[in-house]
Amino acid sequence: MVVGAGDEAPDFELAAPGAARRLSDFRGSPVVLAFHGAHWDPARAEHIEMYNRLIASLGGVAGARLLQIGGGGPWRELRFADDAVALPIFSPSDASTAARYGVGDEPAVFVIDAGGIVRWSQIGPLSLANPTEIARAISVVAEPFVNAPNEESVARREAGSSWTRRDFVATTLAAAFALALRPVEAKAQRMAALGKTTASPSARAVTLNINGHDLDLQLEPRVTLLDALREYAGLTGSKKGCDHGQCGACTVHIDGRRELSCLTFAVMQEGHRITTIEGLANGDQLHPMQQAFITHDGFQCGYCTSGQIMSAVAVLDESWGPADDDVREAMSGNICRCGAYPGIVAAVQEVRRTQASNGGGQRR
Amino acid sequence: MIDFDYVRATDLASATRAGATPSTRFVAGGTNLIDLMKLNVERPAHVVDINDLTRVDPSLAEISDLPGGGLRIGGLARMRDVAWDDRVRERYPVVSQSLLLAASGQLRNMASIGGNVLQRTRCPYFRDTAMPCNKREPGSGCSALVGINRTEAILGTSEHCIATYPGDLGVALVALGASVQVHTPSGSVRSLPFASLHVVPGAHPDRENVLHAGELITAIDLPALPAAKRSHYLKIRDRASYAFALASAAVAVELEGRTIRDARVGLGGIATKPWRSHEAERALIGKPATEATFRAAADAALAGARPRKANAFKVTLAKRTLVRALTEVTA
Repeated sequence: MVVGAGDEAPDFELAAPGAARRLSDFRGSPVVLAFHGAHWDPARAEHIEMYNRLIASLGGVAGARLLQIGGGGPWRELRFADDAVALPIFSPSDASTAARYGVGDEPAVFVIDAGGIVRWSQIGPLSLANPTEIARAISVVAEPFVNAPNEESVARREAGSSWTRRDFVATTLAAAFALALRPVEAKAQRMAALGKTTASPSARAVTLNINGHDLDLQLEPRVTLLDALREYAGLTGSKKGCDHGQCGACTVHIDGRRELSCLTFAVMQEGHRITTIEGLANGDQLHPMQQAFITHDGFQCGYCTSGQIMSAVAVLDESWGPADDDVREAMSGNICRCGAYPGIVAAVQEVRRTQASNGGGQRR
Repeated sequence: MIDFDYVRATDLASATRAGATPSTRFVAGGTNLIDLMKLNVERPAHVVDINDLTRVDPSLAEISDLPGGGLRIGGLARMRDVAWDDRVRERYPVVSQSLLLAASGQLRNMASIGGNVLQRTRCPYFRDTAMPCNKREPGSGCSALVGINRTEAILGTSEHCIATYPGDLGVALVALGASVQVHTPSGSVRSLPFASLHVVPGAHPDRENVLHAGELITAIDLPALPAAKRSHYLKIRDRASYAFALASAAVAVELEGRTIRDARVGLGGIATKPWRSHEAERALIGKPATEATFRAAADAALAGARPRKANAFKVTLAKRTLVRALTEVTA
């Protein structure tokens, strides 16, 4: 029998070293279960890459990039760019557990809500074709089960254990979900919960296309795009400086043009392509403008930098002349309190010259 | 910010009908309205988003030739697109320059032409709800008369308000003798001279223009004007870029040899509305293009100035701005 959405998750005993527990012990917390086949190692590079693609697909990165999976025994420590979480690795005591979920030798993921009901599942290679559907399914269960290490867990970690042929894990995938959800869906979830108690009658469903992905949010019309990005989508790269269109720190691209996210309402941007600083790099490969700002020391404290870079990238698509003074005029909407202007001008000029010598046309 | 009801208008008829509802504001770029809503200076109950109107009628955001040699600029065209348009740059340099010297690259990408000409004053007392302001709260008094008034106006003022009209494009448009196309809630279209769009504050500073509730600027028409090709916008401000004018001049001159055959003069940063100086034009037309002529025109333009304590410098600054603009455009 294949277990699917709406079914009660079959209970079973988890052979965690030193502390046998049952799946039902986790009632009250959502759980992400992942099955995998033989010879599967979560620390393998291609798996890390898969998680990162999943994180990216689930709603716009938010800086939650998985860098490394470390640790051993029943615990895995997941290092992200801005955070780290520890996850328990459980081995099933009963080899037929997978079969009870209808899973053969293929990978599978089950999202189980706090009541023990399966809310979403996928059996077979995890497809990233429809990340919005995945995000929506997962959003119904709030924060996934993630355990932080404590003294007991450290002791368990030291006790060590080896991988079985078919490890049964609440694993890195959960963390991938957790990190993807925490800034994006979980935040939206909390806001939605807040909305229920404060009964905001004007909040409405707003779908924003951010960095190539559609994100469904519940927003009042008065929420600016900047606040939607920072407070609802978890994308804090766009900065709030003056919040009145006078400093440029909140600059994003809308349909490829640089605009101020503090002076537009998020509801006005449905149907438009929004690009933030988080969407500029191509994976680990920085956008040439990001690299040029580093090369030329185009910042000191860094607060204005994301706005400067977003502005600078767009400036090269505008009709300005090639002189340093043209760059200064074109960039005058981005104020740098540290006064890193010489480096900023040098960075913009380097990228402009490189593009010109490459025949123009920049990557976006 | 106070919560409001938001709708996207899909056609002009529904937009203007919705706009006629009390306490309603149109939003296009949002750069002025949203700023003021954050300050609680603007507190609309309804906001009508007019950006989708271009789906039904793309011309609302386009620039097109008018019969007889003029140009029509759609009300929803963005500042950036008008500023860099080849026809505008070639035939109306003063329009392109006034736009490029205004705001920032980001704001010019957002702000619509219709919204730009209706932008509100930057008077610090208008923007501060803790202070009396006749424009924001009729009858509460004018804080700027004896307060910090360095940036306030010296032309077109009254005892009730000395707030400066902050825009640049409007100064160019008033000089050129542009006209405004307005769509009304009843479905009709009316045209009025740009010079008649704004009104001086007088006893009712809260009334800044002649538009009625729900009326929407759908286009601004630039007339065929021989002098427009030799036109120039000079803007003087506290910093080199991205600041409002302390004084500005929009000038267009048609020369015959070194004699001024026609002249248009607009002044910004010093008046309560986009200011056309017919006095300066009269002092220029028929005269030789010399510094003496320009100085006489500048004196005539500022003859009616009513400076206050901290903005008296604007009299001299505005004169020098106009002289320099005329010198450069006739060079």
